[in-house]
Amino acid sequence: MAQGAGERTPSDPGEAPTLIDCDVHQSWASDEEIRRHLPLEFDRYGVNLPNLLYNNPGGVMREDAAPAEGELPGTTPENVAAEHLDPYGIDYAVLTGHATNLALLPNRRYAAALARAYNAWVQEDWLPADDRLLGSILVPPQAPEAAADLIREFGEDDRFVQVLMNTASPRPYGQSFYWPIYEAAAEMDLPVAMHPHHDGLGISNPPSGAGYPGSYFEWHNILPAVVMGQLNSLVTEGVFVEYPDLDVVCIEGGFGWVPHLLWRMDKNWKGLRSQTPWLERPPSEYVIEHVRFTSQPIEEPERPEHLRQIFEMMHAEETLLFSSDFPHWDGDSPDHGLPPLDDDLESRIFAENARELYDLPR
Amino acid sequence: MSRHVICPSSELESGERRIVEVEGLSIGVFNVDGEYHALNNACPHQLAPLCEGTISGTTESDGVGEVDWVRDGEIVRCPWHNWEFDLTTGESVFNPHEVRAGTFEVDVEAPADAGAPDEACACDAESYGTELAGDEPPVETYDVDVEDEAEFGEEMVVLRV
Repeated sequence: MAQGAGERTPSDPGEAPTLIDCDVHQSWASDEEIRRHLPLEFDRYGVNLPNLLYNNPGGVMREDAAPAEGELPGTTPENVAAEHLDPYGIDYAVLTGHATNLALLPNRRYAAALARAYNAWVQEDWLPADDRLLGSILVPPQAPEAAADLIREFGEDDRFVQVLMNTASPRPYGQSFYWPIYEAAAEMDLPVAMHPHHDGLGISNPPSGAGYPGSYFEWHNILPAVVMGQLNSLVTEGVFVEYPDLDVVCIEGGFGWVPHLLWRMDKNWKGLRSQTPWLERPPSEYVIEHVRFTSQPIEEPERPEHLRQIFEMMHAEETLLFSSDFPHWDGDSPDHGLPPLDDDLESRIFAENARELYDLPR
Repeated sequence: MSRHVICPSSELESGERRIVEVEGLSIGVFNVDGEYHALNNACPHQLAPLCEGTISGTTESDGVGEVDWVRDGEIVRCPWHNWEFDLTTGESVFNPHEVRAGTFEVDVEAPADAGAPDEACACDAESYGTELAGDEPPVETYDVDVEDEAEFGEEMVVLRV
């Protein structure tokens, strides 16, 4: 745990939350934890998720957060609490797991079975263990009807606060192929989140239109390009017109690019709107109203005041959610990740925006 | 400046580290190829526990596409964000003049001069990549015979903060 952790204390019962972490990765220590929820048809498959073909020179999991040498951090609710929730005084943590890469599997039925097994594992092994933990319903975007069934099934459990899928896909997320997912999410009043996971593998496209990067470094730099493509598609294809109550969360895809994309969409819309006449307003308005971005990996411009300017340009007081990415190598400290902010903006980013989005108790 | 006896040098062998709490600070003490170095266990980036990261080397290049593995065993990589620091100087690899980890004086002293390890260091130290020292400070079991001391006594690793 970092020095300086513990400067915050958890909010007292009955008080509004002051720190909500919107990206916490819990893991299974053994595949058996997931496998026991698989139907017999897939029992022999086990958990067969694609592994990234890029290597991080320092590994992906934080060594300092491991319960013991050689063990993975984040494999028990107790470890997540001891290493992360307790020292930082986190009121709620949205669990995002390590399985959105099932979106990369070509076998759509297996991907759906794996997603169901994952959700059952979260429901049984994680959510009852700690009231601070909130679940995400993992869905296979390549199987939208099965995804919608999962949303309706697990959405009945109000400890699940959002739908979760990968950012990488074989086709852009605005296309009507995916709309059953959005229809079910809107019906269950759940935001749809997307998180990068091994983008470029399996049935997904390369992480940018330029093709496959040559190193983990090059790959990690360009991950936001996928998010930009998905958001651009969601807005222009009219998802927020068709589902006016739907919210989307872009997790770990950066946000420094948000002003650029919004400005560019609004500028082009003035001359090109005739191609998407269903859009009733400038595109940026749909984004600011319906889309939320998580803070990690925080942008680190040369001068911290430039970050505050980006916050202003992207309407961070409405659109930005704090996230740590615990226990990954590139995570941000709740105490030291962001520069000092004025109190109002700080409370919006660190708690209030997420509290409103996920409809958490005040 | 205060002086803290960390452990016998035999318990901090080349390639090993020990993380100790002294004076309210967490400090990593490293044996790099027989030389001792101490770094503040707080990365200048987000104060993460720098000294708990992987110890290895780094790369240099004489031209595009050419890569040499260098300084093996002299680099620690922060477990948050992977910033690389030179264990012998505290300097970061990416910007050695402006981004550094704090360093402390550490040395070995003859047993007669050093005394027993600090209570705090012996008992509360976190050990990483090495076994914790035994429950009893090893010096207590040494032959205190003056004639034998030079031959059998051990040097002690001493940190100054």
